Amino acid sequence: MIFRPSREDMKLIGWGIGRVILGIGIIMTVPLVVAVVSTEWNVVLDFLVGITACVTFWLVAENTCHVKKDLTWFHGLIVASAGWLFAMGFGAIPHFLSGHFKSYLDACFDLMSGYTTTGLYLLQDLDHVAYGTNMWRHLLSYAGGQGIIVIALTFLFAGTAGAFKIYASEGKEEKLLPNVIRTARAIWMISLTYLVVGSFFLWLGLMWGGMAPGRGFLHSVWLFMGAWSTGGFAPQSLNLLYYHSFIIEMITLGIFVIGSFNFALHYSVWTGRRTEVFKNIEVRSFAITSLIATFMLSIGFGKMGLYTSLTEFFRKGFYNLVSGHTTTGNSTVFSTSFFGEFGFIAMCAITIAMAIGASACSTGGGLKGLRMGIFTKSLWGDIRRLVSPESSVIMEKVHHVHDIWLDDALVKGTMLIIISYVVIYSVGGLLGTIYGYSPSVAFFDATSAGSNTGLSAGLTTPLMPALLKVYYIFEMWAGRLEFMSVFALFGMGIALVKGRRTGTR
Amino acid sequence: MKKRATLPAFFLLALLAVSHVTNLFAAPAAFANETVTIEELVSDMKKYDGKEVTIEGEAIGDVMVRGEYAWITVNDDAYSKRSLEEGGDFAGYSNIGIGVWVPKQYAESINLAGGYKVAGDHVRVTGIFNRACHEHGGDTDIHADSLEVTRSGHEIPHGFQYGKLLAVIILACAIAFLWNLRRSKIKRGKHEV
Repeated sequence: MIFRPSREDMKLIGWGIGRVILGIGIIMTVPLVVAVVSTEWNVVLDFLVGITACVTFWLVAENTCHVKKDLTWFHGLIVASAGWLFAMGFGAIPHFLSGHFKSYLDACFDLMSGYTTTGLYLLQDLDHVAYGTNMWRHLLSYAGGQGIIVIALTFLFAGTAGAFKIYASEGKEEKLLPNVIRTARAIWMISLTYLVVGSFFLWLGLMWGGMAPGRGFLHSVWLFMGAWSTGGFAPQSLNLLYYHSFIIEMITLGIFVIGSFNFALHYSVWTGRRTEVFKNIEVRSFAITSLIATFMLSIGFGKMGLYTSLTEFFRKGFYNLVSGHTTTGNSTVFSTSFFGEFGFIAMCAITIAMAIGASACSTGGGLKGLRMGIFTKSLWGDIRRLVSPESSVIMEKVHHVHDIWLDDALVKGTMLIIISYVVIYSVGGLLGTIYGYSPSVAFFDATSAGSNTGLSAGLTTPLMPALLKVYYIFEMWAGRLEFMSVFALFGMGIALVKGRRTGTR
Repeated sequence: MKKRATLPAFFLLALLAVSHVTNLFAAPAAFANETVTIEELVSDMKKYDGKEVTIEGEAIGDVMVRGEYAWITVNDDAYSKRSLEEGGDFAGYSNIGIGVWVPKQYAESINLAGGYKVAGDHVRVTGIFNRACHEHGGDTDIHADSLEVTRSGHEIPHGFQYGKLLAVIILACAIAFLWNLRRSKIKRGKHEV
């Protein structure tokens, strides 16, 4: 039997979403300051409209939805999933007002792509975009990488006992510290420290490469944000190819690999447990899948015979492969090159790497290394059970910060998520094929959207069909939240229509 | 006499055969006189690989000097003619550009590179197109032999948008009203306690 959510439940959800939107309004002050300093007055107005709209929504929610109750798991799931959709709608205001989007749907697409650290974009004429707008693109990707809910928890949910429920609902389960709000702040501390260090090295690299210090500084911050968040945004339309710099490619490669690791792993290393890097199942899984994909890539490149030296293999092949594997999407080639110059085998290698993705509780997307590890270990356990005497008890474990023994519930949950990812990739690919795109291009872009990678083989443009845009938004959102919150939102929709009236949860 | 005539004819034939295989006479300047669009170049890289081509478009972003050479980016899309900031129409894509490796003295002739506040100089570049440049780690680029500024760039005027200001004022009024409402609710709540 399904129970219909009560009015109090709805109010509580509305109150939570209001706080999330206030968080969006607060982070809009950063691009606002950049626009003021750059004397881009129309862009200043774009962000003032955005901020005031967010604050108005928050105050409406505070006045109409405030109830003296704490959040339950159900509320947490709905606040997380619906909060992202509302955040997309409000965050798109400055984007749309910038005049670089043909429709509000296109602006929403870029917002969801940014928040989910995907990196696909429908913005037009990027090379004439204002500094303020560019800062917003990269900042929302950086903030989205930590998780919008993490932002809200950091500043706006202090003292709420139900905070962990919305934190976990955003696809993050690790508690680095006993208190979830301190955990959220620890995530920010890690990210901000890397921001300062990473941007500094990028800045030096850009100035060495002939860029003026002022623009170099902005580009370094944006490149860091794009790489660390595994979003893959860059301030120029040629992405990383714009810089023609081996140094910049090396630094960004390092940043997105580190950014794709689990925050719990970062915290372990920070607190002195350095051996965790070698023992962790996600690091091992990433290393193995990278090796296999690199092997495939080298076969593909060998067959095509275009990139012949080791440097070319590294800069054009390995870089884009790891960018795909970490679900970043920074690219050193034209999007048409994936289809035209890489060949089928190399393109398959990148598509598989994208589908597997990065680490759980990181800025990355995809199936995640932890799930691949659990899946492989449980498969190995089954094989061992088959060849062992019936009386023997065989248990498998994975090491992720601490040892985790695999039981049926864990394996079942993991399989559900893996299947969900495969389904959204496949449906996206089929949809693209039905619209007349080449299957390899359609599946490449659909996998890229669902795994929050952002590489494109040329399908994702403002001219793509509106239904595909909506589906890709769904893919990015569901993939980032790892489905559970999304299932809960759909469940609530059904309960509102078909559920029986009852008291509050 | 007959022998003397056949020898040059044989050499001529051999030369023609070799040239057919090695593309000896496939003049690098085959595409140099006519301007090729960058979209044509990147969508059919094999055709233009190693050939001399001429492109024309807006210098965009930065001029990055590296020793005796510099990297510039040239866009020849619809926005290079009239950007969205100047009131241009949506073309249905972002930008189409390519990196050009130019001798430093050519790069110095560029005064304005395009961005939000300026429309960049328009340049006409002739050079060798590389599908995967071995000198630059496999980059797809053009090595310029000549560069000519065909049209100077200019500042883009951005008129103040009063409609947006009005929206801010209306929303600010709504915030003031809602904030007072919230405060009075909190006060009322405290009194009730």
